[in-house]
Amino acid sequence: MSALRRHIHPGWALVAPFLLLVAALYLGPILNILWLSVTDPEPGLGNYQKLFESDSLLRIFWTTIRICLITTVGSVFLGYSIAYAMVHCHEKQKSYMLTLLLVSFWISILVRTFSWLMLLGHRGLVNNALEGMGVIAEPIAFMRNELGVLIGMIHYMIPYAVLPLLVNMQSLDMRVMNASRNLGATGSQTFWRIYLPLTTPGIVASSLLIFILSLGFYVTPAVLGGGKVLMIAEYISVQLLVTLKWGTAAMLAGLMLFGVLAMLYIMSRFMKLSTVFGGSS
Amino acid sequence: MQDKQFMRETLVDGAKAFKEGKMKRRTFLTLCAMTGFSAAASFPGGAEAAADYIVMWNWGGQSEECHGGAIGKPHEAAGGLPLRFDTSGPLQGKIKEMVDSGNVTADVCDADLFDAVALGASGHLEAIDYNVVSKDKTLPNYALDHGVSIILYGYAFVYDTEAYGDNPPNSWADFFDTAKFPGKRSLYKWANGSLEAALMADGVDKDALYPLDMDRALNKIKGMKDDSLYWGSGSEAHSMCVNGEVTMGMVWQNRGRNIEEDTEGRYKLVMNQALAMPGAYIVPKGNPAGREEIMKFIAQAQDPDAQLQLLDCLGMTPSNPAAFDGIPEGQQPYAITSAMNIDGVAFNDPTWWGENGGDAVNAFLEAIS
Repeated sequence: MSALRRHIHPGWALVAPFLLLVAALYLGPILNILWLSVTDPEPGLGNYQKLFESDSLLRIFWTTIRICLITTVGSVFLGYSIAYAMVHCHEKQKSYMLTLLLVSFWISILVRTFSWLMLLGHRGLVNNALEGMGVIAEPIAFMRNELGVLIGMIHYMIPYAVLPLLVNMQSLDMRVMNASRNLGATGSQTFWRIYLPLTTPGIVASSLLIFILSLGFYVTPAVLGGGKVLMIAEYISVQLLVTLKWGTAAMLAGLMLFGVLAMLYIMSRFMKLSTVFGGSS
Repeated sequence: MQDKQFMRETLVDGAKAFKEGKMKRRTFLTLCAMTGFSAAASFPGGAEAAADYIVMWNWGGQSEECHGGAIGKPHEAAGGLPLRFDTSGPLQGKIKEMVDSGNVTADVCDADLFDAVALGASGHLEAIDYNVVSKDKTLPNYALDHGVSIILYGYAFVYDTEAYGDNPPNSWADFFDTAKFPGKRSLYKWANGSLEAALMADGVDKDALYPLDMDRALNKIKGMKDDSLYWGSGSEAHSMCVNGEVTMGMVWQNRGRNIEEDTEGRYKLVMNQALAMPGAYIVPKGNPAGREEIMKFIAQAQDPDAQLQLLDCLGMTPSNPAAFDGIPEGQQPYAITSAMNIDGVAFNDPTWWGENGGDAVNAFLEAIS
C-alpha cells in the first residue's frame, strides 16, 4: 500500500486492462449472488432472518464446521507425519513417496470416494475379510455415516496437507536442529521446541487450505454419508436445483464467502499470510 | 453433472467452429472423442438445438437408444425433425436458469409433472397445445397446462426374502415396522415417495394422501431414522440392496426388477401401495425447434406403441390407457398400470408437489440430517 501511495508504477498501466477484466468477471457474478440474497424471493433481509428462525440451518452450519475441523486436524496430522518422513528419508524413497502422493492427488474424487465403498462398505474387502476370519459377526458400519464422510474427506485432503508442509520443511536449516542436539536437548525436545515451531507456517498454510476446501465438499458427504450427513454445499445445490430457493442459496453462499474472508483476515492479524503462501515476507 | 455441462459447451463451440470451417474435421472428431460424445449425437447444430433437430434433455444412460427408437424414429418418419439428446439432467433450477439466460438449447425435457406446475406458474414453460396433444391419451389428472405425462415411474420397495422367510412384508406399514421386521431400510433422499410411504404406513388411505400431512409424515420418518439410509440416485438404491446393506429398500419400481435379477431372486419387489409418479414432457419457453414441431413430437410419444417400446426398453410404465392392455406378461408384475398392479397403487398429485415441493424437500432434508 505504501508503495502505491508514493507513486504508481507505470507497469500498472500494462496490467490494468487485465486486472479490470478479472475484477469485472469475478466481482460481477459475486455481487449478483449477494444481490439475489437480498432480493429473492422478495426484497429485504428475509433470507438472513431465516438463520435465526430455523435451527435446522444452524445445525447444517454446525455439522459442516465440525466435519471441516475434524478433517483439518486429521489430515494435517497425517500429512505432517508423511511430510516429515519424506524429508528425512533417502532421496530415492522420497521420489517414490512423492509419486504415490501425486498419483492419488490426480485421481478423480469420485473414483476415490467409491473406492472407499468397495474397501470399507458393508460387503467390502475389509468387512468380508474380518467376517471370514471370524473376528466379527456383523459387518462394521464404516460407511454411510459421519465416520465414512470423515475417512473419505481426510483421505482426499492428505496431499493438500503434505505439499505445503513439505515445502516448508525442506526450506528449514537443519543446522539449527543439530545445534540444539549439540547443546544437549534430547530428540523430542528438539522436535517440540525447535522443529515444530519452525514448521508453524506450513501447518497454518495447510490447515487454512484444507479447511476452506472442505467447506465446499459436496460429493464425498453425499456418497459416503448415507443421506444423513448434510453439509452446506449440498444444501446450497439442492436450493438451487431442486427447491428453487435461490435467495436462500445466495444467502448461504454469501455467508460462506464472508466466513472465509473473515478467517483469512483474522489469520493475517497474527501472521504474515504471504509467508504462509510461500511469498517472501 | 458440471463436467458434462462443460464438455457439452466445449463441444458446441467446437461444432460451431467446424461448421464455419475454422476447425478441421479430424480435430473436431478428436474433440468429440475426448469429451466422450459420439459425433452423431452432436453434429454441428445438434447439441445446440438449431432448428435442424429436436433436442431432448434427459438423464442419459440407456434412455438415448430407447427414446430414439420409440419416439425419435417414428417422428422422423412422419416428416418431423430428427432427435438428439442432451443428457445433463433437466433439474428445475437448470431449466429456470436456461430460460432466464435467454440461451435455450433444449426443446423438450424428460422431467416430472410437478416441474410443469412449478415452472409453468413462473412462466418458464411453453403451454401444451391440446389441439395436437391428446388429453385422452394419458391418465385423467396428468394432462396439465404446461406438461403432459408420457410415462409413469414409481416408488415401491424390495425386501430380503432370506430375512423374512414365511411372513414377508406386504405394505408400507410393514416397511416402517422395524420391531416386527428387524433390519435396515433405505428411503429416497429428496422426499417424494418417502413422505407418501410414511403416511400410508401411518394409516392414511392411499387415495386420501393429499394434501400431505407433513408433520405426521416426518414423525414417522424420524421414528425410523436410526435404522434408515437415504439414497439420491438409482444406482445407490440398487447397491444398497445388492450389497445387503438394507433388508428392505425403497426403489424405483423399474429398478426393482434389476435388483431381483442381480440377487437371483433373493430380494423381491412389492408393488402393493406403490406410488405412481407421472414423468412428463415439458417444453422450455422459447425452445429452438418451435412450439408446433415439439407438440407433434409429444403427440408421437403418446402413441401406445411408442409407450410399450419404452416399457420394454426402460421399464417405464405407459400412461396412455390404450396401452395398458398391451403390457406383456413378463412386465405385468413390474408395470404400474398393469391389470395386476393398478388397483393397489397410489397416484402422486403433481399440483400439490409443484406448489409445496420445495418446502417439503427442505423439511425432509432437515428431518433426516
